[in-house]
Amino acid sequence: MPLLEIKNVSKRFGGLKAVTDVNMSVEAGEIAFIVGPNGAGKTTLFNLITSVHKADAGQIVFDGHDITHSSPHAAAKLGIGRTFQIVKPLRNLTVLENTMLGAFLRTSSPAAAEQEAAKVLQFLGMGKVMHLAARGMGLPMMKRLEIARALATKPKLILLDEVVAGLPTVEALKLADLLKRLPEWGIAAIGGVEHVMQVVMKIADRVVVLDHGIKIAEGKPQDVVHHPAVIEAYLGSKYKELLK
Amino acid sequence: MKRPQVMIGTVIFAVALVIPLFLHNDYFLQVIFRLFLFATLGLAWNLVGGYAGQLSLGHAAYFGVGAYGLALLSKGMSPWLAIVGGVVLSMICALIIGSVSFRLRGPYFCLATIAFTEVLRLIAKNLPNVTGGDVGTPVPLLFPHNSMRSFYYACVVLTILSFAITYWVERSRFGYYLMAIREDEDTALSVGVNTARVKLWALLLSAALSALAGALYASLFLFIVPDQMFGVEVSVEIAILPMLGGAGTLLGPLVGSIVLETASEVFKNIFKEAHLLIYGILVVLVVLFLPEGIVGTLNRKLRWFKAAPRTPFASAPPPGPAEESKRIPLPLAE
Ligand SMILES: Nc1ncnc2c1ncn2[C@@H]1O[C@H](COP(=O)(O)OP(=O)(O)O)[C@@H](O)[C@H]1O
Ligand SMILES: [Mg+2]
Repeated sequence: MPLLEIKNVSKRFGGLKAVTDVNMSVEAGEIAFIVGPNGAGKTTLFNLITSVHKADAGQIVFDGHDITHSSPHAAAKLGIGRTFQIVKPLRNLTVLENTMLGAFLRTSSPAAAEQEAAKVLQFLGMGKVMHLAARGMGLPMMKRLEIARALATKPKLILLDEVVAGLPTVEALKLADLLKRLPEWGIAAIGGVEHVMQVVMKIADRVVVLDHGIKIAEGKPQDVVHHPAVIEAYLGSKYKELLK
Repeated sequence: MKRPQVMIGTVIFAVALVIPLFLHNDYFLQVIFRLFLFATLGLAWNLVGGYAGQLSLGHAAYFGVGAYGLALLSKGMSPWLAIVGGVVLSMICALIIGSVSFRLRGPYFCLATIAFTEVLRLIAKNLPNVTGGDVGTPVPLLFPHNSMRSFYYACVVLTILSFAITYWVERSRFGYYLMAIREDEDTALSVGVNTARVKLWALLLSAALSALAGALYASLFLFIVPDQMFGVEVSVEIAILPMLGGAGTLLGPLVGSIVLETASEVFKNIFKEAHLLIYGILVVLVVLFLPEGIVGTLNRKLRWFKAAPRTPFASAPPPGPAEESKRIPLPLAE
């Protein structure tokens, strides 16, 4: 049985169909990516998985639990960690304290939470900035802090919404190398990216392509990028002619 | 950086406990009693309004229910049991306000606190058979001879208790959760915090402490009327003291109460009628120039090492649109 199963899930905002009849599943320890242009519905799908938004139709099952009508905090408890595309640090707390907040999900002891948080921060190469206030961080560290907070909750699945977006390429690839090691920790991941495809090619086991809320392709990264529907979604049919 | 606040607090309490040994003037003891009473209320408010960032403008509700609980329940039981009853009743009020408004975002909680307190005031005014109505109701004695000194000590002890509870909260997971809710509720939810429930616990704790303060205050004056206990001025004063001293800091409510209660007492004697105006101007000045309150501002000034230094990676500017679009065709060009 897959770790996460999304079955025929749809979501509208008023008249706008943000996600339409999407099917997708993720196995334990797998790294999947959802790729699609801006507005394709990636963030909405993450918000559906974590019950920030409630699906209009369909079902979402995680680790044997029907979480379609769950709540964000319950999803976290079950083992779904997430990052936010628009970073949401606790600005007035330190990097360590921000990460401890995640660790508190599995322990009520501040000392134990601090230990766990420090471990995660070391893994992400953030040991040096641990005691600095979150508000002073640049975007690369903010993105890592999002990941650190989610990892500290000891998730079974982590949702990475545009964690490499806006990063310099070198920085993005460095982060990808770290993310590639998540399965070693028994953590599955779903990344959402608009167009930083090097990262996807490098670490994705499987790619799902969304366009206007509809799944238009799914498969191994090297196959998906040559899919005609994908090329069209990204570049329009004009460029498709050129590529031929 | 928590340590200096604990030390200053300890010194203040130590001084407070020895004052009655030297000071035998009941008027001054009553002024300092009031100072600590509002420090307690400020500390209680601070758990919800400061740490959790949920603005309550209706803390008079718990204060008043604590007072009326003692007054009314003591008709059928010992005053001490009646105080417990008042505490329980105030927590029930907190439960009602919290459970209807904490699931919603935005100003609903604040509005609910104002509305609920006003409803309680009207009930107290309009049920003369139960509450004595506008005329008011007598409150039983708590201490033999009703000595000012007993009330004074009881109040200081209650403030110490509230201070100690706040100290514990600050260092516990519960405290982290409250601060996380204040900073970003979505983030708190995403790491599994049941934010509605955590806010409710904070409000219950806050209500209980406020009710104890209400009972003590009522018993000192032996008679209470609805406007005095549930008045909007009371709610505002309870909120302003910790904001002035530093909302979300351990010492803030205590400092706020010392500054504001002393100022208002001095102004009352010097400026007579004009004292409320001066008091108002003082509050406005502090809000304008020390928006984080006295303790909050000092804390930030002294905590220079946390003052947002840039990280090694921080120098990389976020890429402009041009840089973003350059990356688009990469996978296809390979
Ligand atoms: N809370 C919301 N209310 C209304 N419309 C929304 C909301 N969230 C997303 N949308 C719309 O849904 C569509 C999909 O958005 P989103 O999931 O953010 O896409 P992506 O993350 O792939 O860029 C967009 O058209 C967006 O404007
Ligand atoms: Mg998005």
